[in-house]
Amino acid sequence: MHDIHVPSDVQARYLNPSRITTFVLLAMFGAGALAFLVLLASDADRAWQAYVANWLFFTGIAQGAVILCAATVITKAKWNWSVRRVSLAFGAFLPVAYLLMLPMLRLRESYFPWIEKMEYDPIVQLKEAYLNIPFLISRSLIGTAILFTLTLIFMYWMLRPDLGAERAADEEGHSGRASWRERLSGNWLGQEAEEQRAWQKLKVLAPALALVYAVVMSMLAIDWAMSLEPHWFSMLFPGWFFMTAFWGGIAATVVAMVLLKRKSAYFNEHMGPQQKHDLGKLTFAFSIFWAYLFFSQYIVIWYGKLPWEQEWIIHRSGAEWGPLALTAIILCFIVPFAGLIGRKPKLNPTWLGSIAAIALLGVWLERWLLIAPSLHEAGTPTITLWEPLIGLGFLGIFALTIRWFLATFPTIQIWQPPQEPEMLDREVAPREAGAGV
Amino acid sequence: MATVTEKERGAQTHPDVRKYAEVNTDILQMLSRPGKWWWILLGMSIAGIGLLAFSWGNQIINGIGLSGLNSPVGWGAYITTFVFWVGIAHSGTLISAILFLFRARWRQSIYRAAEAMTVFAVMTAGLFPLIHLGRVWHAYWLFPYPNQRLLWPNFRSPLVWDVFAVSTYFTVSSLFFLLGLIPDIAAARDQTKKGTLRNRFYHLLSFGWRGTDRQWHHFAKAYLLLAALATPLVLSVHSVVSWDFAMAIVPGWHATIFAPYFVAGAIFSGVAMVITLMVPIRKVFGLEKYLTIRHFDAMAKLCLVTGLIVFYAYLTEFFMAWYSGEDPERRVFWNRLFGHYWWATWIMLTCNGLIPILLWFKRVRHSIPALFVITIFINIGMWFERYVIIVTSLSHEYMPFAWAVYRPSFTEMGIVIGTFGWFAFWFLLFIRLLPPVAISEIKEVLPPPMRPKPRSKEEVSS
Repeated sequence: MHDIHVPSDVQARYLNPSRITTFVLLAMFGAGALAFLVLLASDADRAWQAYVANWLFFTGIAQGAVILCAATVITKAKWNWSVRRVSLAFGAFLPVAYLLMLPMLRLRESYFPWIEKMEYDPIVQLKEAYLNIPFLISRSLIGTAILFTLTLIFMYWMLRPDLGAERAADEEGHSGRASWRERLSGNWLGQEAEEQRAWQKLKVLAPALALVYAVVMSMLAIDWAMSLEPHWFSMLFPGWFFMTAFWGGIAATVVAMVLLKRKSAYFNEHMGPQQKHDLGKLTFAFSIFWAYLFFSQYIVIWYGKLPWEQEWIIHRSGAEWGPLALTAIILCFIVPFAGLIGRKPKLNPTWLGSIAAIALLGVWLERWLLIAPSLHEAGTPTITLWEPLIGLGFLGIFALTIRWFLATFPTIQIWQPPQEPEMLDREVAPREAGAGV
Repeated sequence: MATVTEKERGAQTHPDVRKYAEVNTDILQMLSRPGKWWWILLGMSIAGIGLLAFSWGNQIINGIGLSGLNSPVGWGAYITTFVFWVGIAHSGTLISAILFLFRARWRQSIYRAAEAMTVFAVMTAGLFPLIHLGRVWHAYWLFPYPNQRLLWPNFRSPLVWDVFAVSTYFTVSSLFFLLGLIPDIAAARDQTKKGTLRNRFYHLLSFGWRGTDRQWHHFAKAYLLLAALATPLVLSVHSVVSWDFAMAIVPGWHATIFAPYFVAGAIFSGVAMVITLMVPIRKVFGLEKYLTIRHFDAMAKLCLVTGLIVFYAYLTEFFMAWYSGEDPERRVFWNRLFGHYWWATWIMLTCNGLIPILLWFKRVRHSIPALFVITIFINIGMWFERYVIIVTSLSHEYMPFAWAVYRPSFTEMGIVIGTFGWFAFWFLLFIRLLPPVAISEIKEVLPPPMRPKPRSKEEVSS
């Protein structure tokens, strides 16, 4: 049991974006968008499947990273003081994600097999109250709007105490993007009062956000992945989906931290062994948890051997999809488990970052496997270069938004949650007055 | 002695404990001569064991027909209570192992009692497979061993997995419990008179502990290792118990969510039970300094989180049952809410879903009497949860002609109540024989005794 050291004199620093990276990311986005358009012309169904899978992946990890931040607010964690803002930054993708979702709502028979089956399949007909297009569209629009708005409000209060003018500029005179800072710090009450107020709000917002996350992500899982095999249902599926997204958020934080550490000595100093070790432990632990959830779902289906349950597993095994499914398990479980066991590998940033990146690749593949095999036509290829290429486009805009955030606002959170007032309450009056000093 | 300011002290886990010596005195005085209430409680628990022995003996002599079990409900109150006690057993390892790994400091005051509770709860749960066997003298058939006709238990049966899971859990949690006790037993040993029975007992269990640097080094290593080993067990044991149900294709049982749902429920009920037990202990032994409001607040939050996971699982179950479009699945859940056992389901939903909502409020979390009452409701609710899962599903399977109503018989009720006596008996002995609060670990979070330092500039200005 040791105390986490948080230095009291952290300076505001901003990510200094290089032009080359901006160009590369824009090029990635452009290539992805182009790939999507080309594929849309030749094989529209496939293009949309890749689009939705990528949307679920990137939205999931963006949201998951913010939830990691919220979880550490709820538990009053201190260890992640220097990477808290990095997790938070992923939320910057969410407004874009909302816009990117809108074209998905125009998908019909080509993506949702239940629309066609509704006409003749008695079991699907029993689900009509849930599986219908007006409800799908409205719950997608409203559900994600609530989740994303709440996330943005949470991010705002996490940020606000760091936006006061007196702290804004760093040693080299950078002060982020002043207009944003001014816009978000109106009616400034003074540093201490702002911190107190922000903390009061965050204590309420963080648990609320976690609850809404579970509900809305469950809904997305059912709508965009589970309902693609309209007879299939698994009670664990939504939970597995959002816990994987949460784990993706952790791994994404690791990757971002490692990249920032290389960027400057300042980041490298503050994102030290404590952060590497603890994030490494979380990546390791939630990889095992992923495997646990996967296995819990698999064994029940395997043992039960009910036709309508097996169908989903069968579509993901066998000669066509089996190798890919196995690859996903290796990337999501075997590699992080073997790669991060023990203390040493967690402290080597390059190694830790690579393992986290491999895990993210595994999650990406897993997302593709949740969707594509359900809609697959025999004889067509399982995965082509198109899907990663479209993913590259998403990655471009994803990275651009996060980089924008880290360059606009201090990359390391300067303010720290105050000592809880309740912590200072004393139950039993001190017997010996003045014994304190 | 004290080297911290009053303000800093307020931020510590035990603001009112000032000296190391105080901890020894306060905790070890619990092991002194017991009062009247302890004897009354012990008498009641022995009466409970008597009831257990009588009911079980009667059932062994006259046969399992004395229970209400019959076709189609072959698992009733016995398995319900088995799962209940296995669930209770979860918080101990969670608090000692997982919270240890998470560096949650508030565990120090409660983990010893929680671990003891774990061990005794597994001992209680372990009775039920035996009770349920009918011909209990054949219990050893459950273990795989080479016999003359080379008959092995069916390894594909989750019931056999259970034997392994529960016995592993019992072994590891007992080891963990005994290991953590060593330094404290040594402290108790040093306070007792040489040659007395108590002294010999402590002597034996302290394994020659002298508190040397080397011993502490090994102790810390072993503790960390066991914590890491015990963590997966918290998940695995109740997952395996849940698969006793989920592997079967009984509607209402065959659910993929069962493993994490049962684990969350187990922790939920386990933490609730820790609170229920800690409230009277704190009161009777005057442990307010060690079990502060802050400890109860943290436990209540843990209850709240796991309770929410359980409630999420309930909602998912009901939604998916409807979404499945499968007639038996839908009917089973409809039957749960409005069928013959509606009262059990509504008790479950009220106690586990609605009453814990109160824990959102800080005022409730900071009121010890309120927590005591709420956690009792949670315990009742969690017993009914298992009852609902087991009985409603079995009584209402696929074939309407095979539907039937199950009622626990007097023998079953006697055994169920008796096991509470059995559990209480061990727990009461524990609080008088072994240090129920971890002495050495509380010292770890106290400010170390140091010579008073001269006032520094900073302190003066603050």
